[in-house]
Amino acid sequence: MSFARDDRLAIARGVRVRFDPVRNCHVLLAPERVLFPCPTSVEILGRLAEPRPFGELVAGLAAEFDAPEEEIARDVEALLSDLVAQRVVRVEGRSA
Amino acid sequence: MNAVAREPWREPPIGLLAELTHRCPLACPYCSNPLELAARERELSTASWLRVLDQAAELGVLQLHLSGGEPTLRTDLEAIVARARALELYSNLITAGVGVSERRLEALAEAGLDHVQLSVQDVDPEGCDRIGGFKGSLRRKIAFARAVRRLGLPLTLNAVVHRHNLDRLERFVELALELGADRLEVAHVQYYGWALANRAALMPTRAQLERSVEIVKEARERLGDQLLIDFVVPDYYATHPKPCTSGWGRAVIVVAPDGRVLPCHAAHVIPGLVFANVEEKPLRWIWQESPAFQRFRGLEWMQEPCRSCPRREIDFGGCRCQAMQLLGDPEATDPACTLSPHHARIMATAEAEASAPPPPFRYRRMEPVPA
Ligand code: SF4
Ligand code: SF4
Repeated sequence: MSFARDDRLAIARGVRVRFDPVRNCHVLLAPERVLFPCPTSVEILGRLAEPRPFGELVAGLAAEFDAPEEEIARDVEALLSDLVAQRVVRVEGRSA
Repeated sequence: MNAVAREPWREPPIGLLAELTHRCPLACPYCSNPLELAARERELSTASWLRVLDQAAELGVLQLHLSGGEPTLRTDLEAIVARARALELYSNLITAGVGVSERRLEALAEAGLDHVQLSVQDVDPEGCDRIGGFKGSLRRKIAFARAVRRLGLPLTLNAVVHRHNLDRLERFVELALELGADRLEVAHVQYYGWALANRAALMPTRAQLERSVEIVKEARERLGDQLLIDFVVPDYYATHPKPCTSGWGRAVIVVAPDGRVLPCHAAHVIPGLVFANVEEKPLRWIWQESPAFQRFRGLEWMQEPCRSCPRREIDFGGCRCQAMQLLGDPEATDPACTLSPHHARIMATAEAEASAPPPPFRYRRMEPVPA
């Protein structure tokens, strides 16, 4: 899946991410589901608590990690596709 | 092996199923509660439940399922939800949705409720009333579902299916869409407790089962991301059993209304197990060390064919309660497994029941019922 700069992304309804001190890692909680997201996913999900255009997400990450936007966009796209497929992130106005 | 002292179990549990009460306005003949229901006088106090949640979070529980009976009959549900939120537990309300006002729901949402799972007994109003033993139930459930969505809470519809409502499965899918549910759970009845007592009245035919598999497959393909459909097949017709509760004492803790702690909501059918009570013991000890939780952990207790089966760490030999209830031996291979020497006989009985006219329901009631 690819994303346009103004595709608005947000964490899906009913999904929460938190740190679990017992397992010493982040956990993603959803109805009847518990996942253990990687640190990059945690970073992305943290930025999608409020809906945000894809372009803005990429720009934010590029600034934070001091890397070229194209490079970030490529990496993030793959990960986001995964998160969308798992229904953890939704693209507003898009159903599949 | 019971006498052998074992190492405490170090893996933390994922979920806590809090059966807040056995009281319920409905009387579903497949209810997962025990035949012997706990009366209101024996229910845990608010303070005890809050302490249980504190201990659960400390032990590593991440998800809290607020169940019953009907959990909204507890007037302290808001306080329980608020504590769950403070502890960052993901809270899921499992309700029949017949006596819950919008204002009550709003209070629960404000307290931090994360998700609502609403049972729908049938999409046909009369069928719904007949299965739940409650008049006007479907209308109330639909109003409740709309209130859930108005408040912006995620919603799962839970459809327990059996021979009386399976022919309307497509309409369950339509209803879920119409109500804006995020998920639909299509769960064939699992035959323990009340459901086992009503097996002949509920068991679908193989043709009905196969049709339901088709319908779910078609709906998933058609709807994609629009509606997530979870599907639980009846294990009588499966090849291998389910890893019940993801393995005994591995993922889930059940706390009954009276404070007894079980590895599975049906575990009381296994004779000789003593379930510790949260009023007497800390949850950590009960989870890590109590004999009832240790009883079927690991693989040493297994008999053949499970003992040498390559699937033994996938399904853990199936359900201990089902082995007990159908074979009288909690260590036996779950007879739902085609490798069990008893499978053919059990299946023949079930299929004969499914093709005979259904006997009347034995409704789930509080009063002691003669056996
Ligand atoms: S299955 Fe039916 S009777 Fe049992 S708790 Fe749920 S709604 Fe009540
Ligand atoms: S023999 Fe036992 S372990 Fe093997 S599939 Fe059947 S129930 Fe599972």
